[in-house]
Amino acid sequence: MSVNTQRLTILAQDPSVRSKGALVLAQVDVPSESLAPGPMGYRVKVVDFDATANRLYSPRFYDYSPDGQIVDPYALPTTPLNATARRAFDDKLLADPNFHAQHVYAIVMRTLARFEYALGRRTSWSFSGHQLHVAPHAFCEANAYYSEGDRALLFGYFEGKRQKTIFTCLSHDIVAHETTHALLDGLRDRYTDPSGPDQAGFHEGFSDVVALLSVFSLRSIVELGLTGGKAPIKTLNGLRLISGDHLSADSIADSILFGLGKEFGQEMDGVRRNALRRSVKLRPSVKYLKDPAYAEPHARGEIFAAVLLWTMLQLWVSRIEQLGTFGRNRYNLDMVIDEGVKVADQLLSIVIRALDYCPPVDLDFADYVAALLTVDREVAPDDTRFNYRDVIVDTFNRYGIVVPDAETDETGCWHAFPDNEQIVYNKTNFESMLRDKEEVFRFIWENRTILGIDDRGYTEVISVRPSTRFGPDGFMLRETICEYIQIVELFASELPSALHIERPEGMSTRQRVTAYGGGILVFDQYGRIKYHIVRRLADTLRQSRRLEYLWTTGALDQSRDNRNHFAAVHRERAQIQEGA
Amino acid sequence: MVTKNVPVEAVIFAYQVGFGDCFLLRFVYADDSQKHILIDFGTTGLPDNIADSQMTTIAQDIATKCAGTLDAVAATHRHADHISGFATKTNGKGSGDIIRALKPKVVLQPWTEDLSLATDATAPKALAHQSLHAHSLGLQSLQTVAESVLAQLTKNRTSFSASLAESIRFIGEDNLANKSAVKNLATMGKKAIYSYHGGPSGLAGILPGVTTLVLGPPTLKQSDTIRKQKSRDPDEFWQLQLRKLSVDERLLGDRDGLFPGHPSSSGGKLPMSARWLAGRLRDARGQQVLEIVRILDKQMNNTSLILLFEAGNKKLLFPGDAQLENWQYALSIEKNRDLLKNVDLYKVGHHGSLNATPKSMWAAFDHRGGVSKKGRLKTVMSTMPGKHGSEASKTEVPRKTLLSALKSESELHSTDTLNRSLLFEEVHIDLR
Repeated sequence: MSVNTQRLTILAQDPSVRSKGALVLAQVDVPSESLAPGPMGYRVKVVDFDATANRLYSPRFYDYSPDGQIVDPYALPTTPLNATARRAFDDKLLADPNFHAQHVYAIVMRTLARFEYALGRRTSWSFSGHQLHVAPHAFCEANAYYSEGDRALLFGYFEGKRQKTIFTCLSHDIVAHETTHALLDGLRDRYTDPSGPDQAGFHEGFSDVVALLSVFSLRSIVELGLTGGKAPIKTLNGLRLISGDHLSADSIADSILFGLGKEFGQEMDGVRRNALRRSVKLRPSVKYLKDPAYAEPHARGEIFAAVLLWTMLQLWVSRIEQLGTFGRNRYNLDMVIDEGVKVADQLLSIVIRALDYCPPVDLDFADYVAALLTVDREVAPDDTRFNYRDVIVDTFNRYGIVVPDAETDETGCWHAFPDNEQIVYNKTNFESMLRDKEEVFRFIWENRTILGIDDRGYTEVISVRPSTRFGPDGFMLRETICEYIQIVELFASELPSALHIERPEGMSTRQRVTAYGGGILVFDQYGRIKYHIVRRLADTLRQSRRLEYLWTTGALDQSRDNRNHFAAVHRERAQIQEGA
Repeated sequence: MVTKNVPVEAVIFAYQVGFGDCFLLRFVYADDSQKHILIDFGTTGLPDNIADSQMTTIAQDIATKCAGTLDAVAATHRHADHISGFATKTNGKGSGDIIRALKPKVVLQPWTEDLSLATDATAPKALAHQSLHAHSLGLQSLQTVAESVLAQLTKNRTSFSASLAESIRFIGEDNLANKSAVKNLATMGKKAIYSYHGGPSGLAGILPGVTTLVLGPPTLKQSDTIRKQKSRDPDEFWQLQLRKLSVDERLLGDRDGLFPGHPSSSGGKLPMSARWLAGRLRDARGQQVLEIVRILDKQMNNTSLILLFEAGNKKLLFPGDAQLENWQYALSIEKNRDLLKNVDLYKVGHHGSLNATPKSMWAAFDHRGGVSKKGRLKTVMSTMPGKHGSEASKTEVPRKTLLSALKSESELHSTDTLNRSLLFEEVHIDLR
């Protein structure tokens, strides 16, 4: 713990995951701040209002130690508790709404801090405001979701099959998953728009991946996942050993580490057996992308999650294999855990920072791979030690996801911007370009021809974000990431002349259609363009594919619902079950 | 009287039932004899200036038109706006009593309505009885959910905004169990047929020269063949909703809420820092309840019969309120897609809602076209604007974009434009 952080107790998984009958707790570091009762901090405002009971549960007033640190009221006593005392401690914790509030506050703040660390800057929510509301007991419903309209994460509770109340706010991965939706929405606001099957699935898949990988930073749960709660073998010199039988890819994939939302799933009476799914069981195959069953958003997201979780598994198993054995097929448990923690941490950084190089609209998984490879090459040019990029690209390929050929180089990275010599830099101010949307817009407008930006559309700079990142070898990367979008409204009758695409069969000529374009401009530390990742309005193939998808799925006619978007996706998932 | 085997004309009487469906389909034969099938008879809202006795008046008109004998009744699904007219009264003067007295030879309903499924093994052998039983229970559960939601709405008038409460009430009431109508339908016919995609219509001997194909609803087994994910046991989902509603009931007004002994304050005395979110949460909860009743509404719609009548060289399509999920199975089969291409009359699904006329099917209708198109498609719609959905969320019924397509590419007959002095709109189809 540093002066910039403070420690708070959370559940490492959820109340159903126990070690020797006791809750698995962890004290985690969160950014240090002076909290108002709620807890309410500079980015998160917990309001414990229950709309079903129409009651506000009173918040806790935290005590502070003389050095300004919060006194964690839920920390396990330093003296060991016997089984009875521990059970009483756990029961008291679960029955205290203020612990629930602390739990959500700490996980949201941790997830936020993890994003900011990977991106090298502060991140914003998608709404105009600084504090995300969190309602840990929002209402009685077996659902939890991010609602942009309410500037909030809403966690429901429900009566499980044993008449016990199940709190979604007490699940580490559900809280991390919903927080990731909010953070992703802040980084790429248009990803909740109807576009194509990949974009629809990306939010869910990406949030699953972040939730699952985040758990690896809690060593207690990694150990429990590997050992299943059984005591490790101890050597004479104090080493803790684990049998290699528990360390195969299949064995780890079946552990709690890759199948989260345990309690939620178990208590749903078969309605939703796996809250966040066990996507890693979707073994590599190119068949999923072409299978109509995987065109649905949640199923599509599962493919995305499967690729990255399978990558995690391969990298970890491969690093375990490089560790020495102690006797017959026995490994040093602590080193095995260390390797898992390291791989997950590095992969999490790679996965999050890829967002900066993703196009602002109409994302597909292939774009994401190119973005991931490019930004990782920028931050960590030397990847020869563990070959992360090779493993990642190979795994994506095995699921049939291949970088867009025309837009990438031989390494799968976006092409570097080739026309810097023709760009007019001298009409804009370098300092202002680092933070000022107006200045960047002027730059874009002056250079629209060479940038290939269609001036028929309404163009808007959405964000200008300076970023400073450190690679694994201490290499520092300074960049400014600018995001702009373009919107054009037209009648279907104009599609052939304006966008050179055909009107989908059955679409009335008077049907109103909105086409989107946009791009990411990545400026280097000298203010010159490194990459222009663009989705052009006049991209015939993309616009045609998008329109056909929206038309055939009926999404073209749907209005944007910034409250219920994620609630509906989760609810829909609750009504279907995975195939046999 | 000898009936020639081939009808020469079909006449559709689309009755003014406001928000509901009631179509009397008459087949006229060369010797002027007639056969009649009544397809649905229900309402959940009559236009303002129409008398409450409208349903009785319609029933009497039907009795007159079929000269006291109704050949068949098809009740596409159990929603009130499709079957409320079949309800009887203890004095024997209900609209359902009048229809019952017409002694229909066959009453055709979807397989989900077979009341004997739970105890009797007379269901078609090709179907899995266990799934049918579960689905039947699911329908009962969802009607119980509707009852429970409406009871809470009545008890806690101030929980939701007036407009939200009205939307919940409208859909909820449509889904209430209408025991009288259900019982009447189950017993009024000489023969009761419960059908499914590819199943029997029971109309072959009743309507000479007319082939009736049942295109929907699919059985659960059929539905699951076209997707990776299987439907959850519907009863499980609705049982969960019932448990949720019972917790709602228990917590409301409970001073301790979820955490006995923990200090809390009630809704009206909240600190300033909590008020904005509390208001939003109350509203979000109301929307959840609305969403639940919408899901149950949709689930019920998807039990709709989809009937295709082929007579002479013409095809008449009556899909009830079938929505996309019901259509998906039928449209996944190429033979059906070909069959539907040259439909001559289309009864617009679900009163013109967003998801009841699949775009791919509409696009494939060969007879669509402008007023000069020879053999132009005829469409008939029973609807009442302003009752269901909202324009802001693009869910209004009838949907503006669909209405525009219906007007420009077909000869549209809609009951909402019917002069209030008229009881029905009449559509003639020459079958020769």
